[in-house]
Amino acid sequence: MAETVATHESLSQEVREGLSAELGHIEHDTNTGISNTKLAMWLFLGSECLLFGGLITTYLLYKNPLSGPTPDEIYDIPFTSVSSFVLLMSSLTMVLAVSAIERGDHHRLRVWLGATALLGTTFISGQIYEFTVFYQEGLGYTTSRFSSAFYTLTGFHGVHVTVGIIMLVSLLLLSLRGHLPEHRSETVEIVGLYWHFVDVVWILIFAVVYLIP
Amino acid sequence: MTTVEPTDQPVPTQVLDGAVEEYPRDKLYVQVAVILAVITAVEVATYASPDFFIWSWGGDSNVGLISFLLLLMAVKFAMVAWFFMHLKWDKPILWRVFVSGIVLAFAVYLAAMFMFRLFSPDSMLAT
Repeated sequence: MAETVATHESLSQEVREGLSAELGHIEHDTNTGISNTKLAMWLFLGSECLLFGGLITTYLLYKNPLSGPTPDEIYDIPFTSVSSFVLLMSSLTMVLAVSAIERGDHHRLRVWLGATALLGTTFISGQIYEFTVFYQEGLGYTTSRFSSAFYTLTGFHGVHVTVGIIMLVSLLLLSLRGHLPEHRSETVEIVGLYWHFVDVVWILIFAVVYLIP
Repeated sequence: MTTVEPTDQPVPTQVLDGAVEEYPRDKLYVQVAVILAVITAVEVATYASPDFFIWSWGGDSNVGLISFLLLLMAVKFAMVAWFFMHLKWDKPILWRVFVSGIVLAFAVYLAAMFMFRLFSPDSMLAT
């Protein structure tokens, strides 16, 4: 085993990249014509629909609070609208990052990945600010069934965004270290799928939770 | 190993995963983003001007407003999934997998909401 590792490490960078590309090609040769990783991500996203569907339904069922502040009293729609716009635009920067690596443009890849992570961080900062304001106005997690459902739904989404930011920063670091060549563009695409999913979930939350009276 | 040279032209990407025939130019993505931004602005306008005639029909029941917002939400959702998530160009099995999840979730939770009479005046959760 140790010899195998030593042999692999002794290979030149060029040979290792070629080997990886070859292995990547073999990995994509599946019955569906789609790589298993990509199919797995789509299956995961399909299952996530059930998770967020459950959370949104719970919110709708418990939207009418028996005590504490009501949604109409506490929501700051203009502020949330800006946050929504920021997250929406992060989907554009993400898809541009995917496009960049497929063209072999590593400089633009890093720019767009960094922009996406920055926009995601802005969104999360806004959510933390919103939660802080709500708490100061008397809406704690256990204040009412509405508050519990609201914090659980938006909190779960926030965790997903945070995980996405971590993946984006990881990709950025990999790219900066030269470990993200064109033939691994699918890695960026898969992270992109996750990021866009987080965005479409917020599209639902923004309309159903914040805008629909 | 296939090398992809930087170019502004659409790049065939069969070499990448065999699932995509051709990617559109970045210009299309920007156009989609502009449309999404406009739709978001219209959504916010429903909050700023709730009495505007396009979405104020239905009176106090807010049927017009809710229908309009759900429509805009669905359009935004579909546009992100279709263009940004590449479902337009990817193999059909992927959108079938995704839509299956959405349909299953919608059916299960719609049934749950009806079970709790969420849409009835005598909702079990009103008090």
